[in-house]
Amino acid sequence: MIGTIRHFVAANRWVWSAIAVVLLWLALAVVTGRWSMASLSGIALSASFLAIVGLGQMMVVTTGRGNIDLSVATVMTLSAYLAMLVVRGSDQMVWLSLLVTLGLGLGVGLVNAFLVVAIRIPAIIATLATGYILATATLLANRSLQGASVSPLVRSVASGRVLGVPIMVILAIVLAVCLALVLRKTAFGQQLSAVGQNRAAARLAGVRVNRVIAAAFVLCSTLAAFNGMLLGAYTGGAFLEMGQPYLLQSVAAVVVGGTLIFGGSATALGTLFASVLLVLVVTLMQIMGLPRGAQDMVQGAVVILVLAMAAGGTMVRRRKAPAATQLEPSTTP
Amino acid sequence: MTATDTSLQTPARAGNPGSENLLVLTGITKSYGPTLANAQIDLAVRRGEVLGLVGGNGAGKSTLMRIVCGATPPTLGAIAIAGEEIALASYDAGAAQARGIRMVHQELSLCTNLSVAENFFLEAPEGATAMPGWRARYAARARAALDEVFPENSIDINAPVGQLEISERQMAEIARAAATPGVRLIILDEPTSSLGPERSRQLREYVHKRAAQGVAFIFISHKLREIVEIASSVAVLRNGQLVARSRAAETSVDLLVELMGGRQNATETGREALQPGARDTMVRIEGPWLAGRGSAITLGKGEIIGLAGLEGSGQARLLHAIFSGAAGVRREAEASFVAGDRAKEGIFPLWDVLSNITIGRIAKRAGGAWISTATEKAVAGDAASSLRLDAGRLGSGITELSGGNQQKALVARALVADAPIILLDDPTRGVDIATKQDFYALVDEIAASGRTVVWHTTEDRELLAADRVLVFSDNRIVRELSGAEISEASIIDASFSGTGGHGTAGADRPRRVDWKRHLVTAMPYFSLAVVLALMIEANPLVASSFGLDLLLMPAVALVLVAIAQMFVVGGSEIDLGVGAFAGLVSVLSATLLFDHPLVGAGAIILAILAYSALGGLIQARKIPAIVVTLGASFIWLGIGLSIQPTPGGSSPAWLSAMVNWSVGGIPTAIVMLVVIAIIAWAIDRTPLGVVLRGFGNNPGAMVMSGWHTVRYGVVRYLLAGLFASTAGMLLTALNTASDINSGNSYTLLSVAAVVMGGCALFGGIISPIGVVVGAVTLSLIGALLGILNVSSDFNAATQGAVLLAILAVRSLASRGREDT
Repeated sequence: MIGTIRHFVAANRWVWSAIAVVLLWLALAVVTGRWSMASLSGIALSASFLAIVGLGQMMVVTTGRGNIDLSVATVMTLSAYLAMLVVRGSDQMVWLSLLVTLGLGLGVGLVNAFLVVAIRIPAIIATLATGYILATATLLANRSLQGASVSPLVRSVASGRVLGVPIMVILAIVLAVCLALVLRKTAFGQQLSAVGQNRAAARLAGVRVNRVIAAAFVLCSTLAAFNGMLLGAYTGGAFLEMGQPYLLQSVAAVVVGGTLIFGGSATALGTLFASVLLVLVVTLMQIMGLPRGAQDMVQGAVVILVLAMAAGGTMVRRRKAPAATQLEPSTTP
Repeated sequence: MTATDTSLQTPARAGNPGSENLLVLTGITKSYGPTLANAQIDLAVRRGEVLGLVGGNGAGKSTLMRIVCGATPPTLGAIAIAGEEIALASYDAGAAQARGIRMVHQELSLCTNLSVAENFFLEAPEGATAMPGWRARYAARARAALDEVFPENSIDINAPVGQLEISERQMAEIARAAATPGVRLIILDEPTSSLGPERSRQLREYVHKRAAQGVAFIFISHKLREIVEIASSVAVLRNGQLVARSRAAETSVDLLVELMGGRQNATETGREALQPGARDTMVRIEGPWLAGRGSAITLGKGEIIGLAGLEGSGQARLLHAIFSGAAGVRREAEASFVAGDRAKEGIFPLWDVLSNITIGRIAKRAGGAWISTATEKAVAGDAASSLRLDAGRLGSGITELSGGNQQKALVARALVADAPIILLDDPTRGVDIATKQDFYALVDEIAASGRTVVWHTTEDRELLAADRVLVFSDNRIVRELSGAEISEASIIDASFSGTGGHGTAGADRPRRVDWKRHLVTAMPYFSLAVVLALMIEANPLVASSFGLDLLLMPAVALVLVAIAQMFVVGGSEIDLGVGAFAGLVSVLSATLLFDHPLVGAGAIILAILAYSALGGLIQARKIPAIVVTLGASFIWLGIGLSIQPTPGGSSPAWLSAMVNWSVGGIPTAIVMLVVIAIIAWAIDRTPLGVVLRGFGNNPGAMVMSGWHTVRYGVVRYLLAGLFASTAGMLLTALNTASDINSGNSYTLLSVAAVVMGGCALFGGIISPIGVVVGAVTLSLIGALLGILNVSSDFNAATQGAVLLAILAVRSLASRGREDT
């Protein structure tokens, strides 16, 4: 019995973040003295926005070599601005705005992929640089925003509910489940994992490595753009720095959820639960009245601590690999 | 060698001091999970002895030698060196070196970014001080050592090792170990694998000379004739056990082969001679691969083609070229690749055996294709059973398998991919004899089924199983042997036949690389000149002393942050929190340091210590620096916000005074820039700087040379922290107030400056002066846009675009060099 559980947990690392969510929610309930479903749904709603961008980030992280997309924050902000600029408060242009934002995500993703795959610029630097270029675009968009406002239709999606459940929450769950299936059950999921574990081996096994990596970057940017449009609609308007908190948090959601930071193994459900967990942590800090500086410190510390602790487990496996295969690493001339 | 040879026959006991034994191993056992790499090995080596250590792949030689050098702790057993019983708990590479044990590794362990002389320093740092002239001492030592071991070599002591040829690197590595002061035991692991006959002879002479002086050698080689010639005694390992120990005079090549695990008759069953061309052509090899031969070489259906030659002569390159369909190779059908370097190019360590096999089928499918576990399992099971791989192990993690079984899984992967061409890249490396026999039978079966097998092997004997053998030298095919022509002797002859051509080919290569390097080096200076010229053109006042000071003062802070980033990048890491850290120090200096100087100084020192601890944490836990420093940036910002929620504070008078002075009309900013450049340059030139660059290039080699990873991780970040905090204090002095966000924009700019300055993002190559110039250029771009009346909104985009452009140019310039 215990063996089965242990096996299940090893194969489903999202369990840890799910447990942590339950514990923290209990703690929250005790602190506030209330068992409120309403507060839970508020938390779930915030977590959904984080989860959508986190799931995209997860795909990039899984390509391995420490790849991270640092442009997600500015993509979100710019996408929110573009959506408003196209729509200008009415629903006539809503489909065009959807097209424009998704086009933005697709375009940025392709540029990132091109820089990483074709020009071979390390992902962090490439996305950092595209992020800066997009920041200028955001500044320009901010200047021409005069009087524009969000689409009522998108707004009703972003803040609407079905049977009391926020539509965003449903969206995030559906997305996470879809990605979980893609990762486990499709050729792409296997290829992505292979690339992330050992890029040279994947190439020699016949995986079209560049295509797989490019797909991950495109998916990540597209999800970030989609998320930015919805977040802009939810908050009633875009503003500079809107996406900024999502940079560290998306990486944190990926790592805390149990996806390996060195790539090769992802868990979509883990990212989903970790998003809830991180929002719970922030909510808890707000309820406890911690100032913003302290909140930043806690968030940074959580990321470093989780990484430092998780590295122990994964690295043992990683280190064992060469040890076992290289009983004789240096024989044969 | 005064032979009182009873100790040769019976391994000496540890409790037998006073003898001439230098090294005594007792009951050494090493297990990796279920496998015993070494089992109960007793072995003694006397002073002045040259011990030839032989054994097949996987016999445990390397493991045993790594234990002797302190690189791997034994599971059980005892080690005594010169009569001193070693405490195994504290026995590491450094401890082994302190006792005069040096090993020349087969996978060369020099730092390719450092010069030969600097590599000599890494191995024996005792004589190094941070005083000028220390390099000259090591250069002299390197020169003397090389000339002593290999007379009449023309190796450039001051050239980066990466520019040397493989044989020269091997010579440098051997000389480095031999020249170490106080060395008592030198272990040579396949030292002649890329040396020609003449250099091998020189090495032999040198070994005999030093042995006569009392230095002990352990000599590992697959060339058994060489062992018999060079060694005074021989030890044979088989399956991790010591099976024989005798005087060299009493042994012979035949005897050794038998002791190592018997004759491998399976390889000599002799395939009937085939007429090439009578079969369908699967691969055509043309042009650049052929050394002055007229016609193309064609590989036919059902053939086994062996690739031979000295290691790294182009065999593996041809395999990769066939796989990817590169220039000079035409492939008529799909090809599957079976990697011999299983850890690096073969296995997927997180997966079980089943997934490791089925990826061969899944790799080429459309991404959306659904995978049925049952079907995959059935197909993989079939392939596994045809390879005599236990189907019960399909569910085990691939890393739990022995090397031989992992190799079987990789072959199974190639089989399920169902390609007509199978490329084998030294697949029997580190595989036990029984599995090898299976393997040879399998290769025959694969060929019999009509597939083409291209087989690169480093064991010449295996080539006897091939229909034809292509012998490589210097990246070209110099001979094609077929049928009865194939013999170990003819292969070795042909392998060395082309080495005379090395000179010309080697002369071309560095020149081309140099030209590109100069372009990269010149880029920051060129960009600075262009930006300055544009600014002076737009506004001549820029060229005045006052104008320069005004323009350059803000650049100084960026330069300091960029130098901090440079040291981090030198270790192939990137710090995404360095700007925020400078901002934090700025806040600390404008608040605590202003109000209570002592408390403030303490707080700044504490911050620097916390910052350098990050470097240690990153190394100790092997976690990615980017995420750690990104997380840390929130901590720095959070602390800053807590101390000072809104911009404000004041700069201490003495701090402001430090930026308000002038010497003889020279702009203060220029003086500061020059001083910073000189300090950073000097640090880089010290022994510490060399060590830090060594870690950026080849951390594994650094550890083997006895350097401590975590310690130097801390030192690296300490250096960076000092520069970044100076930047923070400067910000306070310049702004006479502080803002926690004032440093944020420096993070990307510092990375850009480092890249622009000519440092390599993958570590090990830094250039302080280039970074200073690059940072100045980047900070002037903002001012230039202002002069040109471009909105400051475009600052970020311009800087991002400049960074991308630089990286693109650099990446194009280095194409082909870092090709896999």
